[in-house]
Amino acid sequence: MQIATDMTGSRAVLNLNGRFDFHSHRDFRSAYEKVMEAAEVRDIEINFRQVDYLDSSALGMLLLLREKAEAAGKNVALAGLQGMVKQVLEIANFGKLFTVRD
Amino acid sequence: MVPPTSGQVLSVLKPESLTGYRLKILIADDTPTNVKQLQVVAQSMGHQVVVAVDGLSALELFQSEAPDLVFMDIMMPGMDGITAVRHIRALPTEKWTPIIFYSALDRMQDIVSGLEAGGDDYLAKPASTQLLKAKINSYARQIALQGKVRGYAEELVRWREESEEQTRLGAYVMSRLTDAAGLRDQMVHSFNLPAETFSGDLLCAARAPGDVLNVMLADAAGHGLAAALSAMPLTQAFYSMTAKGFPLASIVEELNRKLKAILPADRFVAATLASIDVRNRTVEIWNGGNPDAFFLSTQGEIVMRWPSRHPPLGILPEKLFSGLTETVVFQEPGDLVLSSDGLTEAENKAGAWLGIDGVINLLACAEDTETRFKCLLQGVDAHLQGEPARDDVSCFMVSVPIERRQQFRFTAPKLINQSQFAEWRLDLTYSAQELRYIDVVPGVLGLVTQVQALKEHQGGLFLVLSELFNNALDHGLLGLDSVTKNWVGGFEIYMQQRIDRLAKLDHGAIALSFLLHQSESRAVLDISIQDSGPGFDFNKRLTDASALSEANERVFGRGIALVNSLCEQVVYSGTGNKVWCRYVVSDLVSDNAS
Repeated sequence: MQIATDMTGSRAVLNLNGRFDFHSHRDFRSAYEKVMEAAEVRDIEINFRQVDYLDSSALGMLLLLREKAEAAGKNVALAGLQGMVKQVLEIANFGKLFTVRD
Repeated sequence: MVPPTSGQVLSVLKPESLTGYRLKILIADDTPTNVKQLQVVAQSMGHQVVVAVDGLSALELFQSEAPDLVFMDIMMPGMDGITAVRHIRALPTEKWTPIIFYSALDRMQDIVSGLEAGGDDYLAKPASTQLLKAKINSYARQIALQGKVRGYAEELVRWREESEEQTRLGAYVMSRLTDAAGLRDQMVHSFNLPAETFSGDLLCAARAPGDVLNVMLADAAGHGLAAALSAMPLTQAFYSMTAKGFPLASIVEELNRKLKAILPADRFVAATLASIDVRNRTVEIWNGGNPDAFFLSTQGEIVMRWPSRHPPLGILPEKLFSGLTETVVFQEPGDLVLSSDGLTEAENKAGAWLGIDGVINLLACAEDTETRFKCLLQGVDAHLQGEPARDDVSCFMVSVPIERRQQFRFTAPKLINQSQFAEWRLDLTYSAQELRYIDVVPGVLGLVTQVQALKEHQGGLFLVLSELFNNALDHGLLGLDSVTKNWVGGFEIYMQQRIDRLAKLDHGAIALSFLLHQSESRAVLDISIQDSGPGFDFNKRLTDASALSEANERVFGRGIALVNSLCEQVVYSGTGNKVWCRYVVSDLVSDNAS
């Protein structure tokens, strides 16, 4: 999975591309750690528009990000949900844990 | 232990890091000047030297000294170098020992056959000291690298053996922990196909007191040992709370609390819990993170569906977690189906998922549970086309019957010896404050069944106690009307009202008292329950409720009829806010009679 990060002011967008699964662990962590260190960032958006697969370890990574962001006083939003990704996140009721944007 | 991960770079080995590697070099040559030259060069570089003067001694020394590198002459008395190498290469070995033929150039044909016999290299005699040194250094580097690689390989083998041992232990413990009589219940069919040695999906089934069947299908994130480890803490809590008669919502809340406390942030367990009450014709479900649970009619149509309404277990803290269940009344028999996402996401070779529709199609093959279950299992197998499943695939099928008349099944109570029997008394009062959050019936039942004489009556006493207590709470304190339950969809409305009103309950109390004593040479338990509510017109409602008939059930409610059938006597008093009943425990016999 490729991750392109856009940081503008208080907002950071992580644009994910490809399969988000166990193998994405290292890349995803280093991407969000960079964002976590930036004090000016208050809002982290994870963009799933280009993600075609999501497994349970990806859900685990999102939970880990959520915990870290909460501790740092940052908000995490999920965006661009479609297809299988949307379905998996809905079954897990992640809408109750994260802000979800269109 | 951490294994070397794939892609890790093994060759950060630069030449200079390997020059300190001390070799044992076998020199086989029958010409003393040749031996001398090699020996001087090798020893000047710090290597150890072993000398053989013919092929046979070279073969012997190779076996006894296990050298790292061999210089082999070709023409030697007795066994020649080529024959010696052929023998050496026929020896069983785990390490690679390079052999360099050191021979005169005019014997080129010999050199070729030497390499074919298993030699690795050749040097033309006479070679300069410089060339010999460079050759030895080059092989020293390769040998050192090979040593490192072999070290990694050995470590990997050790690690794999350790991991296999852990897996074996894990599988054993898992199978012991998860095996339960409930899984062999006649209503229950299930399968659990692991993606690895054993599954991270967990299936549990058990009867609660009063014959209600509880099942749980849990799917821990990931699969294999790590996943199984996450799901393991669920079994004990599920079985012990089910056995004590706790409501489903309380069980789910406890499971979540347990997992939240012990799992790291990125681990969680999707779960579906179901409570099937054949007597009251209800199915109650909590689904957090699993695919839809559904109720299939005998005709193969989906009559009810319970999608995931909650995040999986182990994520939310107690305060934010909801154990809210959905209860549905069923009018026709059918099959309740629960599954993990491994079932709907089972992939064939082309990458197509079985899907929920695929599952339903397979189940529509027959009208009875047994055949349907076989169809599903075979269908999954056919879909996977012999490929191993990528995720654990598990499924519960509970065949739910309609029983026109339900009689609670008793086992004949054992006789009690007079000398073993003593009176026992318990009085308890719960006020609104406690009633809002305590599960009174399982708690009280736990106290009551601690008494030896009452232990085997857990089922019957649970039914009597929960019926009488729930009447006191629902009608006495919460003012709910049973008639609501008879409307279409009324049961759900009733349950919702109950939750809402209980949360707001701010006054009133319920008192329970139990007296175990002797009456006409029998052991009897008198139970009385009194609530602070307004009561009801019991004379009108109970004119004739002594016989358990379908007509009476409709008029007086199944519950009261059941209490009447279980107790010798049921008496309402006060304004109808007080009920007393006598439950016969067993006959008392004198000691010499037994």
